[in-house]
Amino acid sequence: MTLDRSITLDKVSIFQEHNLVLSNLSFHINKGELVYLLGKTGSGKSSLLKTLYADLPLSSGEATISGYNLASIKRREIPYLRRKLGIVFQDFQLLTDRTVKDNLKFVLKATGWKNKAEMEQRIEDVLTKVGLVTKTHKMPHELSGGEQQRIAIARALLNDPEVILADEPTGNLDPETSEGIISILLDISKNGRAVLIATHDIMMYQKFRSRILKCENGSLLDSNLMEEMKLS
Amino acid sequence: MSDKYTQRRLQSSSITTVISISLVLFMLGLLGMVVLSAKKISDHVKENIRISVYLNADSKETDVHALQQSIDASNYVRSTTYTSAKEAADHFQKELGEDFVNSIGYNPLPSSIDIFLKASYANNDSINWIKKELLSHKPLVESVEYTESHVNMINDNLGKISLVFLAFIGLLLFIAIALINNTIRLAIYSKRFLIRTMQLVGATQGFIRKPFLLSGMIQGIYGALISLVMLLGIFYLLQRNYPEDVKSLLDINLLGIMSGALVFLGILIGFICTWFAVRKYLRIRTSELYF
Repeated sequence: MTLDRSITLDKVSIFQEHNLVLSNLSFHINKGELVYLLGKTGSGKSSLLKTLYADLPLSSGEATISGYNLASIKRREIPYLRRKLGIVFQDFQLLTDRTVKDNLKFVLKATGWKNKAEMEQRIEDVLTKVGLVTKTHKMPHELSGGEQQRIAIARALLNDPEVILADEPTGNLDPETSEGIISILLDISKNGRAVLIATHDIMMYQKFRSRILKCENGSLLDSNLMEEMKLS
Repeated sequence: MSDKYTQRRLQSSSITTVISISLVLFMLGLLGMVVLSAKKISDHVKENIRISVYLNADSKETDVHALQQSIDASNYVRSTTYTSAKEAADHFQKELGEDFVNSIGYNPLPSSIDIFLKASYANNDSINWIKKELLSHKPLVESVEYTESHVNMINDNLGKISLVFLAFIGLLLFIAIALINNTIRLAIYSKRFLIRTMQLVGATQGFIRKPFLLSGMIQGIYGALISLVMLLGIFYLLQRNYPEDVKSLLDINLLGIMSGALVFLGILIGFICTWFAVRKYLRIRTSELYF
């Protein structure tokens, strides 16, 4: 059903500068679905995610994400698209000069929140979701890698996004902590959001099985369309 | 809504920018004052240009007096001085150191009226027209004389000096903007990842720009204030050593206009340079951030 689709790509080719990285991609991701984007380093996973959050321009094909058409999106519309997406990075990208609470407050202010009480409540809500409500006054360097990534996920949830894009969210974490992060992302998807996780960590897939999109030799294989996918 | 962290960090890294702006504005202020005072200097020189009206030896004193009064009433005249034939002879005799009237048996010098013009009439076109008008009083007026080349020289030189100064100011402003732009760009370069994070969480360009622009304008104001203190210091020293000259060339209104212009220029330079520097990092791709 089209209404349930958060991400739709149709005959999309992904370019990094002028180099073709992935060609002829067609897939869609529904609300409430968690999808792994697998592939070796340099296979085009990050380029695909960058195209989805409009950091790389879409020059070929049609793509829609959270209601925005990426082929025709204007520069001034990009911030509003990103407010409907939650983006999580391997290196967390928290602002190191301020506390957890101020990191989150900064995002709320940047995205147009004005009411102080509502901001406080929202920060408490997202920190509760990732289990870090007691860490509001900590500086990022006082937290472990796993905790920092959970803060990054909390930050991604602030504006109640329809889609979460996670680029190697467990890349810097040990297996046990990684499990915790994937588990949180799985919960988020169960609450009706589409979650796309780019990773090369097949172990995670084996623990939390879900649909796979695999970047290989410049094209994308979809586990929904194949009976058996070779993962190694 | 601006971000206090961004602003605090920007302010702490802005000393170099403030120093650059203040030095540039100081130089501009100094040149500006010279250019603005040049008008007064030029008026002073022009108002000392003299047209000598030589009178007929047979003219009656009452006619001469009437002529001087009518000249005084003209709108181009600042002042006139009447010199009788005898006064002219005495003056010449003093210069010569010899009683030439007795030697040649008569006084060959005519009586004359010296006219000092208002500065705006001290150009050849006006003087030629004034000369014609004065000559219409013949036979009372014998001849009218002024040194044409002298007027031309003064006008040409003042024009040239002003042009050179203006060109110098233009060049200085260009160097200043390039220098300040570079300093601000370096300061913003160090914040490029912060800008990136802001963009990725959905901050609009206006929200990202605001603290940078505010900080740029505040730096401009600080720079302007420092340059003003330096300029006032210079004027204080000048006034202490040459009180009369400084008093006749500078007035409080001029200083007020200059101060306002410098603060405005400081804000403008800070704003424009910051705008372009931030714009660069707002348009950059993630992959380009590392170079």
